[in-house]
Amino acid sequence: MDSILLRPDIRDKLNEITEADILVGIPSYNNARTIGHVVRAVQAGMAKYFPDKKTVLVNSDGGSTDGTTDVVQATAVEDFQSILLHHRVSPVFKIATPYHGIPGKGSAFRTIFEIAGALNVKACAVVDSDLRSITPEWIELLIKPVVEGGFDYVSPLYHRHKYDGTITNSIVYPVTRALYGKRIRQPIGGDFGFSGALAKFYLTKDVWETDVARYGIDVWMTTTAVANNFRVCQAFLGAKIHDPKDPGSDLSAMLFQVVGATFDLMETYYETWKMIRESEDVPTFGFQYAVGLEPVSVNLNRMVEKFRLGIKELIDIWKVFIPGDIIAFLQKTGDSQKSEFRIPDEVWGKIVYSFAIAAHKKLLNKEHLLKSLTPLYIGRVASFVMETWESNAVEVEEKIENLCNNFEKGKKLLLDNWS
Amino acid sequence: MDNFLERVIIEPFDSLRERLLQFLPDILTSVLIFMAGIVLGVVLKFLFLRFFRAINLDRLFERSGLLEMMQKGGMKDRLSVILARVIGWVTIFGFLILSLRSLNFPAVERILESFLFYLPRVFIAAIILFVGYVLGNFLSRAALIASVNAGFRMAGLIAKLVKLIILLLSMTMALEQLGIGRETIIIAFAIIFGGVVFALSLAFGLGGKDIAREYLEKRMKGDDNKDEINHL
Repeated sequence: MDSILLRPDIRDKLNEITEADILVGIPSYNNARTIGHVVRAVQAGMAKYFPDKKTVLVNSDGGSTDGTTDVVQATAVEDFQSILLHHRVSPVFKIATPYHGIPGKGSAFRTIFEIAGALNVKACAVVDSDLRSITPEWIELLIKPVVEGGFDYVSPLYHRHKYDGTITNSIVYPVTRALYGKRIRQPIGGDFGFSGALAKFYLTKDVWETDVARYGIDVWMTTTAVANNFRVCQAFLGAKIHDPKDPGSDLSAMLFQVVGATFDLMETYYETWKMIRESEDVPTFGFQYAVGLEPVSVNLNRMVEKFRLGIKELIDIWKVFIPGDIIAFLQKTGDSQKSEFRIPDEVWGKIVYSFAIAAHKKLLNKEHLLKSLTPLYIGRVASFVMETWESNAVEVEEKIENLCNNFEKGKKLLLDNWS
Repeated sequence: MDNFLERVIIEPFDSLRERLLQFLPDILTSVLIFMAGIVLGVVLKFLFLRFFRAINLDRLFERSGLLEMMQKGGMKDRLSVILARVIGWVTIFGFLILSLRSLNFPAVERILESFLFYLPRVFIAAIILFVGYVLGNFLSRAALIASVNAGFRMAGLIAKLVKLIILLLSMTMALEQLGIGRETIIIAFAIIFGGVVFALSLAFGLGGKDIAREYLEKRMKGDDNKDEINHL
């Protein structure tokens, strides 16, 4: 793939800017409705918290047809007094460009890394373009630990609805925590801060034709930072409220990309994670407070039906790599009443590890294997929803903590069956 | 009278005995060649199996993804075993042909000749069937998983149909390759395939009109019971 830096318009812009201190990237695809707010928040954050720094905003777009890039170009903070800013600020440079490569968030990030590298920036941040809850403080919280604290990677910490981010809560967080020993609560949060050095390190990796170029980018960034001993911390950003995902987006494809990238990283960093026995907290910045969250509708009947359909049709595929006692349990669960429907933490941990081992041993075609996880994942989410129907945020966090402990305990099973 | 007996009985028997005496060495040679072929086939199978294991052939194919494809196609044995077995059988088969040729029977030679000319077609047909079988299983599983994830209750049926269509297609191609009822096979396949598609269209059209209406209504008006879970 050609580098974005070869494009004459980008080269001219980079020559004009020459060097910068801070870069904030916004990947987008048809986000005209929400990106204006994100751009304003980023510009205000840069002006308010880094007034003496040379800052660049990069919008890396996937070929939007709704005028997203026009909105980016046209948006500016008109009233700096509203953010209590009275002193002179350096202008924010703006680059809005379509990215090259496989369509996906990862390719958008690659363009941002390339521009960051070319401008030799000290610190970067990336924020999603569909955010409705982003404030200028997010920029401070994502950038300052890098600029002033010497950290290389700042992972976000949000308050989210208990049924928001279910792949994170049920797979990615427990797995990455058990494997790499760092309690990074939102490893695929989507809004990260990182040093210029780490951005350059990312560019040295040849992963841009894989699932990392798509939804796999977030877990890849976090894992790469942790596994290569970059200094990692978390920043509390408040509530994460964003536009709902496109209803047409396929859950199984999303699951395939995210879990596939997680499993691929297990291959890459086996020597690192095999040595780790327990997890530890990472430094966390930001003043934590409770926030109100928008309700989330859940169709439990449909979820349980999808799980049952999976049990009926896919059990023969799972029998190849899931232990017999788990298979028997799943069949029993498939036949049970909705009120008794439960997939406990221990069972879920064994299922996820069985899929990881099957992917490692190449027992099935990878896409078939990971897409066949979808009904089990939906079943687990349904079970989680039923268990936490009446729970508040603290109780839900405790449930997730228990799940993580189960994954950590079950790691031996993973190691014993890996080779 | 003696002359008559000699011409009717003794001479033909003498001739038969002479022919038998002439033919016996050929039969013996043929049997010996065939037996040597069996022994050589078994030895080669054993030697090649050891050789394939020594060079870690299975691991090599595992990395290339071919092993996975074969396993998905229902092959249980390891590739090294299958290849060694094929080498053994090809050796035995080759020696069988040699042994038959050593009989010096013009009729057998003619049959062998036409069989040898036909052999490449049989080989290609076998490859087509093998690829069809493996591809059928692979795509059938892909269709099954996709249908389950989309929530289709008839996911199993869809997967079986996909497999059946691919197997039918590969069988048609294999039979065409063998030259067996070429036109008939193609027409039969077109009729069966067209029939299946037509039957499915009718079934979906008549049986699924309510589902289609419901689906369109949901798309146009929005689904009241939708999930708002954001998975990432």
